[in-house]
Amino acid sequence: MSRGGKKSPTNVFINCPFDDDYIPLLRPLLFTVVCAGYDPRIASERFDSGEARISKIVELISKSSLSIHDLSRIKAQEKDEVFRLNMPFELGLDMGYRLSKRGAAKRCCLILEKEPYTYQQALSDLSGSDIKSHNNDPENLVLEVRNWFVQTGDKNIPSGTQIWSFFNEFMADFYQDRQREGFREKDLEMMPVAEFINFIRRWLHERSCR
Amino acid sequence: MKTARKSAKRNAKRVHVISRKDQWAVKKEGTTRASRIYANKQAAVKGAKKIASNDWDVIVHRKDGSIDKWSKPEK
Repeated sequence: MSRGGKKSPTNVFINCPFDDDYIPLLRPLLFTVVCAGYDPRIASERFDSGEARISKIVELISKSSLSIHDLSRIKAQEKDEVFRLNMPFELGLDMGYRLSKRGAAKRCCLILEKEPYTYQQALSDLSGSDIKSHNNDPENLVLEVRNWFVQTGDKNIPSGTQIWSFFNEFMADFYQDRQREGFREKDLEMMPVAEFINFIRRWLHERSCR
Repeated sequence: MKTARKSAKRNAKRVHVISRKDQWAVKKEGTTRASRIYANKQAAVKGAKKIASNDWDVIVHRKDGSIDKWSKPEK
């Protein structure tokens, strides 16, 4: 039985790394998606050792009308480090689904990278595609994602600068409120994505932002 | 679709120092516009302390939005 809920026009599949180095970008990315009125769907949203990861990813792709793929971490950082192929692989699964009969209604995707045109060296099949770069800057990421939502047809979204300000205010409350509730630094660092998304939703609701 | 519309209002007595396009903005919570933009973080922190009244928190953020320093008013 499917466990990921129904297909929804507000579901956004997010394909990105899950390591600690990416947290400074993942947090504002999730915040922007929720603040814009959408629902992030991400492989780490639920954990079941008995569930095959590939099945979960395909299910999330099939239930999302939109998708965001961040390819900024595919390049090896050190000598002898292997390329990270999960992100381009999941992008390929998403592209394949979009081209299939069942995926024909899927609207569009945003592909992000660190610097302009670096992806072409590793993934030249995407040469004709419009790809945005965030330069590893969380604020740039917020602006690019927000502008993409507007370009997909949703005009009723606050400015990128406003979302970035909201995010900074949210982070202040997030740290203060969680520490009051007994969360320690380690708890916050290792917080499951689903729990973090719930805090974003609660904050936006309490602030009448959503 | 419901989207963010109103500015946050719950914590009115806070000044934030926020990264903004290679510069640093000082912004009072609940306002829509920054009070002032500074070329570097150090100058922005000084500016934030100037505009914050005695009973205001000054929250200095890192470039990723996390908290670098939180100065509470002296009681």
